Amino acid sequence: MDHSAHSAIEVRGLSVSYGSTPVLVDVALTVPVGAGVCVTGENGIGKSTLLRCIASLQRADAGEIEVFGGPPGSTPEFWRAVVTTVEPPTWYPGLTTREHAELVCRAHGQDPVDAGIDEALERFGIASHADAIPPSMSSGQKQRLTLALALLRPSRLLILDEPEQRLDPEGRASVAALLHAYLADGGTVLMASHDDAFAAAAGCTMISMADLHAIDAR
Amino acid sequence: MTATATATVRVAGVRRWVRRTRSAHRERGETLGNFYFAVLFVVIVGGMLHRQLTAIFWPGTPNASELAGGSLTLLITGGLYLALRRLGPLGLSRPAASWLLTAPVSRRRLLLPSLWLATIGAAIAGALGGFAIVGHVAARPVPGPAEALLPLIGALLGGGLLLIALGAQADRWWSAWSDNAAYLVIAVGLAGLVVDSAWAAPRAPTGWPAGAVVTTAAAALALVVTTLFLLAVRRLARTPNERILEASKTAGTLLDSAFGIEPSFVTEMVERRYWARRRLRSRRLWARVPVLVAQDLLLLRRRPRRLIWLAGATTLPALLTHAPGWTLGAAVLIGGLAAGGTTAATVRTDAGNPVLLRLLGLSSREAITQRLWVPGVLAGLWYAATLTLLHGLGDLPAGPWWALGLALGPVGAAATLRKARTGFVDNSLLPLDTPMGAFSTGPALSAVAGVDILLLGLPTVVQIAQGTPLTWTGVVVQGAVAVIGARAYLSGTTATDRVELR
Repeated sequence: MDHSAHSAIEVRGLSVSYGSTPVLVDVALTVPVGAGVCVTGENGIGKSTLLRCIASLQRADAGEIEVFGGPPGSTPEFWRAVVTTVEPPTWYPGLTTREHAELVCRAHGQDPVDAGIDEALERFGIASHADAIPPSMSSGQKQRLTLALALLRPSRLLILDEPEQRLDPEGRASVAALLHAYLADGGTVLMASHDDAFAAAAGCTMISMADLHAIDAR
Repeated sequence: MTATATATVRVAGVRRWVRRTRSAHRERGETLGNFYFAVLFVVIVGGMLHRQLTAIFWPGTPNASELAGGSLTLLITGGLYLALRRLGPLGLSRPAASWLLTAPVSRRRLLLPSLWLATIGAAIAGALGGFAIVGHVAARPVPGPAEALLPLIGALLGGGLLLIALGAQADRWWSAWSDNAAYLVIAVGLAGLVVDSAWAAPRAPTGWPAGAVVTTAAAALALVVTTLFLLAVRRLARTPNERILEASKTAGTLLDSAFGIEPSFVTEMVERRYWARRRLRSRRLWARVPVLVAQDLLLLRRRPRRLIWLAGATTLPALLTHAPGWTLGAAVLIGGLAAGGTTAATVRTDAGNPVLLRLLGLSSREAITQRLWVPGVLAGLWYAATLTLLHGLGDLPAGPWWALGLALGPVGAAATLRKARTGFVDNSLLPLDTPMGAFSTGPALSAVAGVDILLLGLPTVVQIAQGTPLTWTGVVVQGAVAVIGARAYLSGTTATDRVELR
């Protein structure tokens, strides 16, 4: 991975179809290192597909994608630099919410106390569920836990699909502030969202999918 | 839309309408065709397996002691009770649970057909058990009353167990207490079989069981079961909704698993329900070991009951001491899969969806290396305890069998992980045409995944089959094969530049 590259993400001529239905046609996108970009657009226009391709979770029909100067892949180096919430999460059986957070911290060589696990769970409003197993929590609480885990561990790029979903207004403000701080620390954020106010509070520049030359999938 | 209360309607009418509407979508004669194929299936399978069925239920000469008969009775009783509890026992089909349970119909009439079905099923299972016990234990000729009444006692016992399970379905305290009692009954039954095998208990005398005892027991049981059944029908409507919904989900998952030939559906359901019932308290992961080893150790700590069962299961291979040596060796090797599988759910999670491995940023090589440790130690200790016990009972010749058991640890670990990483059955594989019909290769390959790696334990099987004293050379050979095999599995199925386990 080329750490000297100026662009965190470079997408050129990306095309994806589902069967005979084209979703993305000749899409181009550049996200500089340290920038926050929020892709907006109506449902079905291809925001999630674009994010999945950039996170190497979906193969494109055509086009080039570079993340930090190299092709995105399934290597551990890639996943130590990139965190995504594009996929629905799974949880380890028999492990509580707090233990999931500790596991993630320890896997990245962080001390759980120094990493501020308890503060993170408190900030995301799930401290009272620290001893619960994640499958027993509501969808909103699981969404908060996913974001908390994503922000607890070190990374250089966050790829988030509608992070404001299932969060109450207070939660949205809190997550937006955390993303703003992440950008201020030099991290890069690419997200898809329907909430312009949330994206602005997170410090992200908004780009419409239509401007990326995607076609309407309806 | 009106906000008025709806009048109660008759269940039978609704069910008749559903049946009529569904049959209108079916082709003419489809039900008859299904019935024909079911009968044909039973006749063909019965014809193919009649010798095996005779050996199971009614061998030519009795081959079990009175103690073994009593122990088998306990095993069947405990096993049948737990099976009934896992199935509900009172459930509805998924469509009926969704639409009729919430409809304004009589709950008792809605649930009564399910009660009848469950009672008949439990009674048939109990009767077959009673029949098999007479067949294995009673000296020939079997006394007339015993031959007829023991299956009847089995059927009544089956019905009684169903009614007890029905009471447990409605009461959480009673369900936990009765489940523990059933586990205890099974443990006592297994212990009885092990003692019988080691001690060669005496066979039942001619005329066993005494006609008066059997008749009295049958009459008493008939009275108790009839009373319990009447009480159950009276209280049927009080069965809580969530318990009926849970049972209908279980039945649905079992059907999905059977039709899709996908056992992982059931494994996943059992795992999910087990942890959903537990009340956990967050603990710190042990910092002195690699992070995934620490996670497996935490999981191990949370399954003390499984560890007790594993300790008890070390005695089970002693049941096969009269079987050929290779059978005993193979049974010992397969037991290691159960021991290693105590923490395998974490690997199943990662193999099914690598989201968490991506979040952890670990390569598949790092992940599997760390995941091998706990199953390896568990399997090694289980093998060591089992072989030492067999040696102590005089079923194995002299030698350091404990060391051979520990040397088998890597085999158990690699086999456990291979099994856990298999994931869904690949039903896209081409079926094999055999003289007995098409044979699905996907489920067969899935079934042997993990067992194939146990071939690395072949030196142990040969050693047990030969019956010669074990030398340290034998231990070193097995240890070398195990370590080389486990390393080959690791390097052949993982990579340092890939996160996904499959």
